[in-house]
Amino acid sequence: MRDACVISDYALFGAAAQMRYTEAVATLDADVLVAVPSPDRLDVLGPIYEYCRTRGYAPEGEAVRVGAWPVQFVPVFSELTREAVCAAETADFEGVPFRVVGAVHLAAIALSVGRAKDMARVLALLECGAVSAEAVRDLAQRHGLHEAWARFRSRFIDERD
Amino acid sequence: MNETERLLRRQAEWQRERRSLTWPEKIRQAERVRATLEAFRAQRRHAVAVQPQDRRPPLGVPHETQ
Repeated sequence: MRDACVISDYALFGAAAQMRYTEAVATLDADVLVAVPSPDRLDVLGPIYEYCRTRGYAPEGEAVRVGAWPVQFVPVFSELTREAVCAAETADFEGVPFRVVGAVHLAAIALSVGRAKDMARVLALLECGAVSAEAVRDLAQRHGLHEAWARFRSRFIDERD
Repeated sequence: MNETERLLRRQAEWQRERRSLTWPEKIRQAERVRATLEAFRAQRRHAVAVQPQDRRPPLGVPHETQ
């Protein structure tokens, strides 16, 4: 997809990326952050869906079925997610190189989204030692997430001590 | 060490083992969980669809209380 200039970069994020560090977690789909060459298009994901369709990957709701997984393409939606894609690591999935968002960015994105399951993701990454509280705090603060971090810290870290 | 502590220790050990699996192994585990989740969801949708509507009292009619 990159070679065809449909996307300029990508990285797996969400639960599937979290599992590189933590134990397996329940998830219904695989989330892929994509940077696209024309982010101002109204149908920003149109070319991706079209590319997939011509290769036999059918859309399924808001996702595209690839093998066993519905894959949800999410255009980068903030400076944080843009940075996460740029700084993504190349992981090996049974011999296939795969761009994956790193642990600190995963935690900061989860913090920015802020649902209960996202808070659980930050906690899981902290508890398994994949990230330090300081690293998440620094990245969060750099992206204007001071308050989100302070709320998370008082609710889940200070309370635990 | 009492039985509860032994249970918690075994559980912690089990969690460590699951965490140390390779990424592809964990993805496969998640695939199996996902299949179960989807089956539950389908079952729930089916249960909602076949629930008889006429059991609900008509609007304005007070519910029976016990």
